[in-house]
Amino acid sequence: MSQPSGDSRQIPHSSKACRRLFGPVDSEQLRRDCDTLMASCLQEARQRWNFDFVTETPLEGNFVWERVRGLGVPKLYLTPGSCGGRDDTGGGRRPSPSAAVLQGTMAQEDHVDLSLSCTLVPRSSEQPEGSPETPGTSQSRKRRQTSMTDFYHSKRRLVFCKRKP
Amino acid sequence: MELLCCEVDPVRRAVPDRNLLDDRVLQNLLTIEERYLPQCSYFKCVQKDIQPYMRRMVATWMLEVCEEQKCEEEVFPLAMNYLDRFLAGVPTPKTHLQLLGAVCMFLASKLKETIPLTAEKLCIYTDNSIKPQELLEWELVVLGKLKWNLAAVTPHDFIEHILRKLPQQREKLSLIRKHAQTFIALCATDFKFAMYPPSMIATGSVGAAICGLQQDEEVSSLTCDALTELLAKITNTDVDCLKACQEQIEAVLLNSLQQFRQEQREGSKSEDELDQATTPTDVRDIDL
Repeated sequence: MSQPSGDSRQIPHSSKACRRLFGPVDSEQLRRDCDTLMASCLQEARQRWNFDFVTETPLEGNFVWERVRGLGVPKLYLTPGSCGGRDDTGGGRRPSPSAAVLQGTMAQEDHVDLSLSCTLVPRSSEQPEGSPETPGTSQSRKRRQTSMTDFYHSKRRLVFCKRKP
Repeated sequence: MELLCCEVDPVRRAVPDRNLLDDRVLQNLLTIEERYLPQCSYFKCVQKDIQPYMRRMVATWMLEVCEEQKCEEEVFPLAMNYLDRFLAGVPTPKTHLQLLGAVCMFLASKLKETIPLTAEKLCIYTDNSIKPQELLEWELVVLGKLKWNLAAVTPHDFIEHILRKLPQQREKLSLIRKHAQTFIALCATDFKFAMYPPSMIATGSVGAAICGLQQDEEVSSLTCDALTELLAKITNTDVDCLKACQEQIEAVLLNSLQQFRQEQREGSKSEDELDQATTPTDVRDIDL
């Protein structure tokens, strides 16, 4: 009854749930598999969005990528601690693609453009003749905004959240 | 002067929102639930190293961790959904399985809880066989493979919808809910149910809970058959499928009861073992 509530989620001493199930874990293999799978995720995303998420460059494909101005986030919110060697993620960690981009952009400007928007452009060559005409497909500038799910969105959300005081 | 006593539950809960319990929401849940099912029976077509009993081992461990950490009821089934969806797509060596289980609990807990499990805590539960850094890196891998679709529908999403449509006395509801939740956890440990729609597991669990309780006391004015028909109507499930599902759920319970009794017999030498074998406690109190 009188147990302090803060302790309710401490791991009890000699908890039987603390156990390894399948013997020793090979960290090297974990690292290799992690790298392989991350690379395949990036590759999938690259094809899905015709965008290279490592170098953050648009590629040829169904989506047109353009930089959006005016969503810059003040530097203040992006640098925890000092501006120098950002090593907030703990030692030994390779810089993630987004961190690399953040650093790169920040070196040049005061504001960071994490804001690329992508739009799906119907390619006129692929438009089969006699297909049900949707209003506006004849206008080449008509675009449908798609939602960026995988990588970009989450990053943008992160930035927006940090904007709020 | 009013005094506030905070020792009950550090987590503040919102009152149930009636707008979230109307038919529109139920229909939407029924429409989208299949999107979050694992794509194949992965022991046959994807995994080479991982066997069904290993899934049961990691699931049992995950349930123990969730119970010891007093996680929200949804965390465990949601984590199992992530695990199954990942394994349906990625061939995985068995030595990675516990790490994956930890990652899935980490994600599910973040999605569902006010105070989520920490990476450090989860690593301790693996007996420090993995490091927090590894957990965080694999978190990204799992997210990528799940395409960041984390808000999966679980059987728990249907429980309130079902309960409010039953002609039940209110005072029995919390007991029925509790038993149904235990059945859902039990289903999540068994691969048989991994590809069933969550609505069917929820409906079957409520049915099994009421029928089980019915033996001791009057909890429902309906007979079991009438109840099954009503339940099937609520979630648009085929009556025969639902009956089969409910029978499977009851069989799993029996099975796990027998296992429990056996463990009890074997483990009676040390009392710790008894404490540990609490897995899905509540339902075990029912005598079938």
